[in-house]
Amino acid sequence: MITLRVAWRNLWRNRGRTGITLAAMSLSTAVMILTYALMLGMITDMEKSVVEVFTGQVQVHNPAYASEHSLYDTISRPQAILDKARSSGIAASVRAFGFGLVSSGPNSAGVQFWGVNPQAERSFGKLDEALLEGGFLPDAPGMRVVLGRKLARTLGAKVGTELVVVVQAADGSLGNDLLHVCGILKGVGENLDRSLALIHEQDFAALFVFPGRYHEIALNSHGRMTPEEVASFIKGAAGTDEVKTWRQLMPGVSDMLNSFDGFSLIFEVVFFLIAGLGVMNTLLMSTYERIPEFGLLKAIGTTPWRILREVSAEALILGIFSSSLGGVLGACAAWYLSRNPIDLSGFAEGFSTSGVMMSAQWGAQLTIAGIVWPIVFMWLVSVVAALYPAAKAARLDPVRALTHV
Amino acid sequence: MNRFIIAAIVLSVCSIPVSPPLRAAGGPPATAEDILNHVDDLFRGVSSHAIMQMTVTTAHYTRDMTLEAWSKGKENSLVRIVKPEKEKGTATLKAGSNIWNYLPKVNRIIKIPSSMMGGSWMGSHFTNDDLVKESRMADDYASSISFRGERKGVGMIELTLIPKPDAAVVWGKVVVEVMDGSYLPLKIDYYDERMKLVRTMVFSEIREVGTRRLPMRLRMIPVDKPNEYTEILYTTIEFDIPLQDSFFSLRSLKELEAP
Repeated sequence: MITLRVAWRNLWRNRGRTGITLAAMSLSTAVMILTYALMLGMITDMEKSVVEVFTGQVQVHNPAYASEHSLYDTISRPQAILDKARSSGIAASVRAFGFGLVSSGPNSAGVQFWGVNPQAERSFGKLDEALLEGGFLPDAPGMRVVLGRKLARTLGAKVGTELVVVVQAADGSLGNDLLHVCGILKGVGENLDRSLALIHEQDFAALFVFPGRYHEIALNSHGRMTPEEVASFIKGAAGTDEVKTWRQLMPGVSDMLNSFDGFSLIFEVVFFLIAGLGVMNTLLMSTYERIPEFGLLKAIGTTPWRILREVSAEALILGIFSSSLGGVLGACAAWYLSRNPIDLSGFAEGFSTSGVMMSAQWGAQLTIAGIVWPIVFMWLVSVVAALYPAAKAARLDPVRALTHV
Repeated sequence: MNRFIIAAIVLSVCSIPVSPPLRAAGGPPATAEDILNHVDDLFRGVSSHAIMQMTVTTAHYTRDMTLEAWSKGKENSLVRIVKPEKEKGTATLKAGSNIWNYLPKVNRIIKIPSSMMGGSWMGSHFTNDDLVKESRMADDYASSISFRGERKGVGMIELTLIPKPDAAVVWGKVVVEVMDGSYLPLKIDYYDERMKLVRTMVFSEIREVGTRRLPMRLRMIPVDKPNEYTEILYTTIEFDIPLQDSFFSLRSLKELEAP
């Protein structure tokens, strides 16, 4: 107890020195918490932008569809899967896929039609928000189409443009009709930008003479369950159809995110080291400065052990104060950035890489671990940095220590 | 190239066989090239007009269509669906290496882009590409007689065609079987670059048409789906009818009546 009291008094003896050390430690802690939260936020955002827009956490397909992409390889029991998903509040979106030819004036292009339910799509993901111009499909069918960005450019199509569409329908006949462009998507991935045409599922059924058949069901619990949990929950209802998580469906993107995880870990280690070394430097200097003082203490009979205890108590008190202060500061800043993401749209209009659409907003993500680890790390650094010179001083010959400059 | 046959035929009989006389008896025997030219010319001519039944059978549907087709030279052809009612008036125009489809339901003409040339024509086992190819087999392939004799009691000649180095063809090998004597085609096998058999075209029902003898029934069978096929049966076919070049225009593509 006396040790703590003496330590406390010692800290107040040289307020300038204590203040600087305190400021350095708390600022470093705050910055560590903030960068950790920002890195985590970036990774979470990337995963979200993969999952949330239209992919979902889990998808169900007919196993033959992946290899053949045949119109006829549809999901055998879509209703059972939808009912199961609905029973636990998992958002689900059914989609039918088909290929066709679209033309506008002299331009024509092969397209991949997605028959979607606009209402379900809206509550499922963010496809309806990912628009460059125009609006998303209206809830009622009416031969409207939303085009991928590059496809629209190929066709020279704008909102309101009339397109002629020709498909080979399921009964072998030549399905054809007119579609009106109601919206153009932002970049949602290289492939889809070039070929995607979204239409209402009922329009799809009429065009392809293919009612009630679907090729994909995408599922998203919106963070309540992990993709693996959703997959195992749905598996029973899927029968012979294949249930896969987005990481299984997009191993390339998954690998990219994993390597980004590793990259951010390295970045954090470097950052922690810089912060730690800064604090260590400040502490070392302030302890070295006091070596003559320790010499005096030794000269009047203080044991080396007692000096060590004294110094570590000081470091501990400093550490507790600075980390609390820094913790609060960092957590506040990170919390603020999680609510008010950094707007990068001045630099880039949102971009897509490897088929992942990134948003132009960079938000932080605050977790308990993201606060606790920097604080613990800071304590360790402060105690080590204070103990080393103190131990040196404690072993010094008092006369030498007294004259130490 | 080999596909020209299909082109010629499907697209309507593009021609009129002005059948070049094969070597007279007693002269030197016909070479592989002579036979190929004969087969090529069988369906080529100044102009033609035909009505045919096309039957497409796949694992998922069977369709019967009645088609009316006109052709002039190897450049121009026009095919129009007469039946079924739902697709009546749907037409395909080939002029040079371009293909347009006319869609009566929406009253629009749509040009087939090059990226869709490999796609199915009207849901059949023929591709759009089959329709536009017009070069001659003898120009694209080096041919040799690989068999001559009797098979199933019929005297026949088998020609093996290997693409010439600079020929723009998709097949790795084509094997043509013709009847010995008449040199009418019986069967054509198409192999891909890995020498795997991809599809087979079978000719049957040889009939007299004017001064020519022609197989009236053609059946295309994709090898990977042995239960599927597209069959074309000529109901009527006439050659050397008067047709203006202007007939093969986007305007007549829309018009429902024949000239």
